Amino acid sequence: MTEKITPEEIQKIISSVPLLSASANQLLQATTDPDHDLMQIVNVVKTDATLTARVLKVVNSAAFGLINEITSLDRAISYLGERLVVGIAIGDCAAQLFDKELKGYEGEHGALWRHDLRTAIASREVVTQSNSTINPDLAFTAGLLHDIGKALISDYLQGTASDVLQKIENNEFSDYLAAEEELIGFDHPRAGYELALVWKLPEPIAEVIRFHHTPAEASEEFRELVYAVHLGDNIAMMGGCGTGADSMQYMLDTNYTQYVDLHPNALANIMLVVNEDYEKLERSFSEAGE
Amino acid sequence: MGQIILGVGDYGASNQSGEEVKTFALGSCVSVVFLDPKTRTIGMVHVALPESSINKAKSAEKPGYFADTGIPALLAQMAKFGCNPKGKGMVVKLCGGANVMDTNDTFQIGKRNALSIKKILWKYGMGAVAEDLGGNFSRTVSVSVDTGEIILSSPGRPNWKL
Repeated sequence: MTEKITPEEIQKIISSVPLLSASANQLLQATTDPDHDLMQIVNVVKTDATLTARVLKVVNSAAFGLINEITSLDRAISYLGERLVVGIAIGDCAAQLFDKELKGYEGEHGALWRHDLRTAIASREVVTQSNSTINPDLAFTAGLLHDIGKALISDYLQGTASDVLQKIENNEFSDYLAAEEELIGFDHPRAGYELALVWKLPEPIAEVIRFHHTPAEASEEFRELVYAVHLGDNIAMMGGCGTGADSMQYMLDTNYTQYVDLHPNALANIMLVVNEDYEKLERSFSEAGE
Repeated sequence: MGQIILGVGDYGASNQSGEEVKTFALGSCVSVVFLDPKTRTIGMVHVALPESSINKAKSAEKPGYFADTGIPALLAQMAKFGCNPKGKGMVVKLCGGANVMDTNDTFQIGKRNALSIKKILWKYGMGAVAEDLGGNFSRTVSVSVDTGEIILSSPGRPNWKL
């Protein structure tokens, strides 16, 4: 028998999670501002010595294969691009969540980070290859954070995975989301949204976290972005990179065609790019973390 | 036990006793397994996409990525172990090719991978004797040289054999 999570309980869980650093928060705010420029990003990173060191370590990791070492922060950031800098900042602050073993989903240590990184790349590519006007950096960052709620509720789902899969197969649950809600009274998007509110994440990112499995319910203003991450999430799972037993056990909202113009060949191309970029990024993050 | 681990688009073969060939977490990808009873060689290719025509450069660099270039590449590799280069006498098994739930045509990469692989095999006069394809779950696949047995695993499910 699983224990239900009450709204008070979820706040208690969230209170045990470290807050985002001031610099990570400022970077997220900057990413969602359509008028921001790279100098704003540089200025935020400059105020954070640890983040500065990490950014320089990543850009000089073997994965990027630079011949000459980059020592200036401006150059490092313009080389890596805004999304990677934001990714480094979030990855460091929320490492406790990203690295958590998702026991409730039978997911290994680091599975959440790997899935989120793949989703981030795939969401960026969906936006780029469908000629959307959405900022690819924003799609990347939202993809990186979309499943953060799983780290909050996973422990409450321990021992349920095999039963849930059986019940989905027997149509007793429509998908994994319905199972989470039924078993513990909270699904992972809602749990993640509660964290987004406490962390004061920018509205479009909070909407992605809340509605990435039910994009039609997102507010019209952010729906295209939410659909892009919805597809990015599915592409990551199709690439074999889920977070455990729940992989591929969520409904694809095929109404995405109203918001995202994705040609079948584009999907194959996205899958190719995701695999290549993922290997490079994963390597650079892990080398820099050593 | 020695292991040959295959990533996406990799292929490999072995005839070493005690060794196994393994690939992790096939989602929509398909693992094509060849077993040659005559030379006691096993081979596997981890196919990600149905057609190499979408990216010729990638298929030249990593032929295993695509169904139409991956199967010939695996056969050529197995020929180095003394297997028939046209796959004659080989036993074929297929695993993977999952799809997301409630999918549409665009997202049915798993189904298209399996179909494309079967068409290529047909050209060689080969057909799968066993397959574990489709569904909505990822599969980790390993094949043992000694037994030729395929073991599949997926989080939340007991292991099964093919």
